[in-house]
Amino acid sequence: MIHMTNVSKVYDNGSVALSDINVDIEKGEFVFVVGPSGAGKSTFTKLIFREELPTSGQLVVNGRNVGAMTSSEVPYFRRSLGIVFQDYRLLPNKTVYENVAFAMQVIEAPRREMQKRVNHVLDLVGLRNKTRCFPSELSGGEQQRIAIARAIVNSPLVVIADEPTGNLDPDTSWEIMKIFERINKGGTTIVMATHDKTVVDNMRKRVIAVEKSRIVRDQVKGVYGYED
Amino acid sequence: MKIRTLEYFVREAVVSLKRNSLMSFASVSTVALSLLILGIFLVMVLNLNNMASTLESQVQISVYLQDNLNDLEIRETGTRISKLSGVSQVLYINKDEAMSRFKKRLGDQQGLLTALGDTNPLPNAFEVKVDKPERVKQVAEAIGQIKGVENAKFGQEVVEHLFNLTKMMRIFGLVLIIFLAMAALFIISNTIRLTVFARRKEIGIMKYVGATDWFIRWPFLIEGMMLGIGGALIAVLLLGQVYGALIQQVYQSLAFLPLIPQYPFITNISILLMVVGASIGALGSTISLRKFMRV
Repeated sequence: MIHMTNVSKVYDNGSVALSDINVDIEKGEFVFVVGPSGAGKSTFTKLIFREELPTSGQLVVNGRNVGAMTSSEVPYFRRSLGIVFQDYRLLPNKTVYENVAFAMQVIEAPRREMQKRVNHVLDLVGLRNKTRCFPSELSGGEQQRIAIARAIVNSPLVVIADEPTGNLDPDTSWEIMKIFERINKGGTTIVMATHDKTVVDNMRKRVIAVEKSRIVRDQVKGVYGYED
Repeated sequence: MKIRTLEYFVREAVVSLKRNSLMSFASVSTVALSLLILGIFLVMVLNLNNMASTLESQVQISVYLQDNLNDLEIRETGTRISKLSGVSQVLYINKDEAMSRFKKRLGDQQGLLTALGDTNPLPNAFEVKVDKPERVKQVAEAIGQIKGVENAKFGQEVVEHLFNLTKMMRIFGLVLIIFLAMAALFIISNTIRLTVFARRKEIGIMKYVGATDWFIRWPFLIEGMMLGIGGALIAVLLLGQVYGALIQQVYQSLAFLPLIPQYPFITNISILLMVVGASIGALGSTISLRKFMRV
């Protein structure tokens, strides 16, 4: 599903974010990427959805060579991914329903299919009763659930999440993780950058630890491994 | 493109026009002013051109003969002229007749001629008409070659002056129009930039969920074109009113001025202005989007 071969990323200002990364993530896996701030976790996720391009090495996602992709192919490539951010990134002037439907609208999905899918994913995140609310009327946890619903509404093969619980309290974080687990059970691959020790230690999924731009640990059913 | 998508684009465009109503107003006004001036220049230049060619079509060639010709030679010259291709009518005016015409034209100021005494400095002449106006120059040159002809003139200077005037106006107008078009472009691209800025978050999300660049671009392009067309519409309405009023005035007081009739002349200019307005709008959007699309 995601294959990195000798992937390095050096930013224009010369700072090395990742060097010589070799990782294979298979379909249906649930992977945490952990490590200290500035170790390269975010870059790791950004490379996968081609926010950033690798400086060297080969990165294949969903069978596509990300480095060799033309910019006109990127939108179609991204339709096979769902992306969740720490700050939710919802549109404040659109309702819950519209926020989720927006992701289908911009890829010109048929209206009937859209209604069905949007209601389905809102059920999945448990917010079917809030369709007419605006994001400002929701709690942080609810907003993140909407963001997750938007990320999965186009049935992506991979969901990439960058610190999705970073702004949430432990209880809410746990609810969010349950939703991710449910999505993962449906066969969707999940790659999550996080520094939430409790979450990682309780989920017992594969853990990739990045330190000083290199992978220092790749552990099945791993733990966070750092002190908070 | 699906109808629903088009609907979405237009709705988005209208919403952001409203959101930045002050800048939208400024853009529309600038475009209107620029296109109005463009329209006025077009109308003036085309009318002057029209006048020049009308005058040209009305001119006749005055053929002045050498003073030493006898009647027979004069008649022979007349025959030669009428045999030239393109000549439709040849009228002989002898020097006495020319003098009496001249006196009549002077009117009250005939006293000026007393200095001449009994001598008549005016030459014998032919007035030549041609079948096609565009051949005037060519025929006049041919007549000039005929033996016994001093020179052959037509209202060359007047026509050439008019053409020079239109040429100057065209250059001046072009400079002014380019300047104004740049101003309109600048204002429109700034308006769109504000819209893009207000919606940068939305654009970012669209990119992440896989919207194509064109899907993101269209609402802004439509917004720009609406601004351009809105401005053009105002310019067209004003121009039509002003030209209509002008034509009325001219027909009443200066009926001999050959103005181009209002229709379809103004209609054609209006179509042109609308197209220019829409293009300026689209171009303005493209300029401000270019930087932003590299997300």
